Amino acid sequence: MGKEITENGVEIRILCRRLVILKKESGIQWLIGSPFLPSLTIVSTLRCLHTLGSESLSPDLPKESDDLRSLLPKGFEVIGALITDDRNVLKIEKIVGNAISAVRNLRKSLYSNDNDNQVLIGAVIDLKNGVGERDVRFFTSRARNSGSVEKVSTIVYEDQPEKFVWDKGCIVRCELPIRLPLYYPLNTEDVEGIYTQAITDVECKFRDPQVTYLIEAHNSHSTGGPQPIVLHGMELNPPEELPENAFSIETARESTVKSLACSYFFSETKDTMPFTSVEENADKILVNIMFNRSRNSLKPVAPIAEYYPATEGAKLLVVDHKLEVLCYAAKELLLMDAVSKLLIPALIDQLHSLKNKISPSLLAEHPKLQPYHFMPSGFLHPITVLYELSYGETEMKQVEARRSLHLRLGLPFDRPLLRVANAISLSRTKDNTGGNSTQKGSSLLKDVHHGIPSSGVSGGFVSLVQGSYEYYHYLQDGFDDSGWGCAYRSLQTIISWFRLQHYTSVHVPSHREIQQSLVEIGDKDPSFIGSREWIGAIELSFVLDKLLGVSCKVINVRSGAELPEKCRELALHFENQGTPIMIGGGVLAYTLLGVDYNEASGDCAFLILDPHYTGNDDLKKIVNGGWCGWKKAVDSKGKHFFLHDKFYNLLLPQRPNIV
Amino acid sequence: MVKAVVGDETQLKLTENRLTRSAIPSEVGLVIGKLSSKLDKGFVYDLVPTPTNDDGEPPCSIIDGVGVGNGKKKGSSRAKSQPESSTLFIDNDWVSEHARQVSRMLLGGMKVVGIYIWVNETSFKNSAITLCQTVKGVAEAASLVETDWNERLLIHISYSPLRWTCRNCSLAANITSNSLRPCDFKMGKVLGSLHTFRCMYNFDVRLPLGHEDGQHIRRFADILRHGITIQAKELRSSKALIDGKLVIEDEQHASYDFHEVEFLLPFLQDKYVEACSQKEVFGVVLFSGSVCSLAYLNSKEPVSQALADIKEDIIMSLLSRLEMLCDEADREPESITDGGEDSSSQKSIDKPVPHLNLGAQRKQYNISFPRRVFVPWLEGTYICDYIQPSETVEVVKDHCVELMSMEAPTDASEILEPESEAPALITSTTKSFWDIAAHDSSAAKWDNSVSKKSRGSRNRISAKSADLNPMLAVLVVVLSIVVGLVLFLIRAA
Repeated sequence: MGKEITENGVEIRILCRRLVILKKESGIQWLIGSPFLPSLTIVSTLRCLHTLGSESLSPDLPKESDDLRSLLPKGFEVIGALITDDRNVLKIEKIVGNAISAVRNLRKSLYSNDNDNQVLIGAVIDLKNGVGERDVRFFTSRARNSGSVEKVSTIVYEDQPEKFVWDKGCIVRCELPIRLPLYYPLNTEDVEGIYTQAITDVECKFRDPQVTYLIEAHNSHSTGGPQPIVLHGMELNPPEELPENAFSIETARESTVKSLACSYFFSETKDTMPFTSVEENADKILVNIMFNRSRNSLKPVAPIAEYYPATEGAKLLVVDHKLEVLCYAAKELLLMDAVSKLLIPALIDQLHSLKNKISPSLLAEHPKLQPYHFMPSGFLHPITVLYELSYGETEMKQVEARRSLHLRLGLPFDRPLLRVANAISLSRTKDNTGGNSTQKGSSLLKDVHHGIPSSGVSGGFVSLVQGSYEYYHYLQDGFDDSGWGCAYRSLQTIISWFRLQHYTSVHVPSHREIQQSLVEIGDKDPSFIGSREWIGAIELSFVLDKLLGVSCKVINVRSGAELPEKCRELALHFENQGTPIMIGGGVLAYTLLGVDYNEASGDCAFLILDPHYTGNDDLKKIVNGGWCGWKKAVDSKGKHFFLHDKFYNLLLPQRPNIV
Repeated sequence: MVKAVVGDETQLKLTENRLTRSAIPSEVGLVIGKLSSKLDKGFVYDLVPTPTNDDGEPPCSIIDGVGVGNGKKKGSSRAKSQPESSTLFIDNDWVSEHARQVSRMLLGGMKVVGIYIWVNETSFKNSAITLCQTVKGVAEAASLVETDWNERLLIHISYSPLRWTCRNCSLAANITSNSLRPCDFKMGKVLGSLHTFRCMYNFDVRLPLGHEDGQHIRRFADILRHGITIQAKELRSSKALIDGKLVIEDEQHASYDFHEVEFLLPFLQDKYVEACSQKEVFGVVLFSGSVCSLAYLNSKEPVSQALADIKEDIIMSLLSRLEMLCDEADREPESITDGGEDSSSQKSIDKPVPHLNLGAQRKQYNISFPRRVFVPWLEGTYICDYIQPSETVEVVKDHCVELMSMEAPTDASEILEPESEAPALITSTTKSFWDIAAHDSSAAKWDNSVSKKSRGSRNRISAKSADLNPMLAVLVVVLSIVVGLVLFLIRAA
């Protein structure tokens, strides 16, 4: 990408793939950068949700900063604002001024000791004149100097944004359960005040001289890797704040530890491309916080037990907190700073977020709050969300919380991307099992169509199923359904797709359970259960509706010869819905995973997943035997894949409109 | 199972010389050493004879089988040739009591691992069952926290011909002839190759006392025992630094023979309160202080063993001190009783503090644990003892002579006193329940002010003479208790 010097010599680098997430409506988007990336680099954007009254361009700063503080990992910060305006009454200078002052005020409330030299970005789209990414106009201003605004003319779009973020940066992770006992007088009104005081005490303790930070590479529990590093609480404070006696127990070894950077834990040759997930590609450091019971600046004193009776009625309340934070740190950052400047503030922020949610119900049942981290596809960094686990995920309140997060992140509303099952899992036990196949506790083959030979349609446009599915076929699980179970197996594959996309947590039903639900809805007589009767597309739609609440579209054709005519419609389905299709009808049931269609020539092929396979789950055998592969309506020998004298029903499950 | 035992040559030879010169017919005593399950090996550091009992009688004697069974003429059957039917009499209770007292004085990695007996071959053969019973009694009195040891050593030193044999004695339920099994015994360098691990363990815990808690743990001593049990659990799951380095694998430390251990415990996870409970409390016990601990490791043993030993030493030290306080409370006559007072108020005062039922107390109480001191023992190793606030280092010397049959250190400055007297009075008068309850363990705020005053260096076990301050503090404590008591009684009257 050519770089040219602009009048102010400033260029803005954009990493995120979608900068404008507001859809033809006026509003504010916060632009996110990082102190560890070059200044004026936009990593991501978050929509401003809380506004004052109905005024979409006046952010409610206290609420916004609360939300952003818990959402955004430390190591990322708000560096700008983008305003879309449809009123066209104000001059552009005025709008830019608004954007800059919005971000300046937000930073004031987010970061208490803000750096005055920070350059802020103000960006504007005038909806009357343009809506696209390229219509954004960028301006910059120094944080302390509100008057001068400069126009930016050079915009660089990074080709490999993941590499840009993760080659030089790493994740610092810390999990910390905190159990706080609170004693309060029976006659007090102010338990919350006591709680607040206790939380403040905890804050101080993170920098207690006896606190010890054990730092290690996330995956190196075996031999060979770098040794864990031990940092002591006293080493975190700048020297002038140290109690004078703290130096006496510092050894030479400890002072060398101070000069180590995060990169100590990583090999330099690691390649982050292609970047598939934080779990696999990002470098990670794990920090454990412990309390050193062997260091004390005081002279050792023989044990003493003192009994203090409560002078008035007293009660004890125990509040449990689960903290888990991720921070983003440059690899050359000193470990000491990573802990002191990122990790501890992050823990304190999260503790306050938890406190604010627990406080109102302090004396009643505490909410079960658990932090989860997500990195939806297209996002370059994780975000953190506190979920309440006392209720089910489909509870209205939880759904609303997720919807507003989708809105903030600019995610579509018809797919669940922020459910617990979507969360990044970094806990160690899961890492040990490794591998994709065991991740979901299933041994079935997934996504068998990856890497099969192409269809042979020249100039065709391929439309495929979106997301993962499991391959169900005859004789699986030692169940003999050869000759009658193909539609059941196709249904199982479809339900597995909904499971793996996290629309449902319902397990994949057995043949008997499928029959059972058909009897329950009155479609079949009780004698149907346990029989070997076939089912068709219509029955499948009933079961999908009953078990998952998924509705389906059905396409009928009187003869297999008519199927190629439906290719355009099927391609559209894969583009918009992306669910697997079941083909039923006259004789055989198949699962359709995609079409390859040349609109001009009419040439087409169908990606068929055949449930009639009776062998073992050997990918090679399945692909070579054509059990998963492209089928042309008429093959090279003139044989028709779809029979002309049979009718076909195509079942097109519709993606539910849920998050 | 222990297959081979190695004894410290220097010490055992000294014992051998002493025994052969003494010309007494029999002697029983304790084997101080260590059994290693990982190495299937036993180590013997020293043999300590059991002293004569309170009546001045030796703990064991040979009974002439021909004579009357209960003829207690110890030492008189000092004939050159023993009759075939002679057997041993051993005062099991006394030997067990000795074991109990000695095991309190041993540090980590040193244990009472059995008994030795100096007796002729015939009597030994005839007394297998008796000896097994003694071993069992000793095992019960000096029980090891690590439970995987169901065997102890029985060392037999026979004269004419002079011979050392070692057997391991199974502690299975019933004693049979199979209980004793011979094992390989040799002498070599043991004490000289020991590695020393030192640890300072500080704790500061609050034990809430709730109304719903079972009645049985309302007694002060029981509450503390419960607290120590939780600490033991906490300590077991801790991580450790050795010389500032995190211990990950079970490596062997060969380079230095002195190591500093630090224990890292979970941060801000109060194990002393139950989860999510909300209950009424009538008071809180603040249990705080430090335990200075040492443990010894044989050069072939893994580091994990040293950590286990030092953890055990910390917990055992706390339990021993509590036990001593309770023992003393049991012995103490109910002296504080003043005649002619109101009987209900009297009841609560009568009892010594460890036995108080705190549920019924509306005033503050405290128990100062005895201080731990270290006494030089063999080849640079130490044993420990405890000094009550009212005692001086002199009692330590007595214990050493009596229990360990060693020469008392002539210079009192050789006895290390790393732990200082707890400043009980100061804290108890200035703090209320709410002060204690509001601040969780070692809140940085008010610790800082204190730490600035006492610019103490790391607590190296350094030779320090016993200073007068503890004595002064003791006097003040005693005086104030008396004054407080008088005031209380006056008010109650």
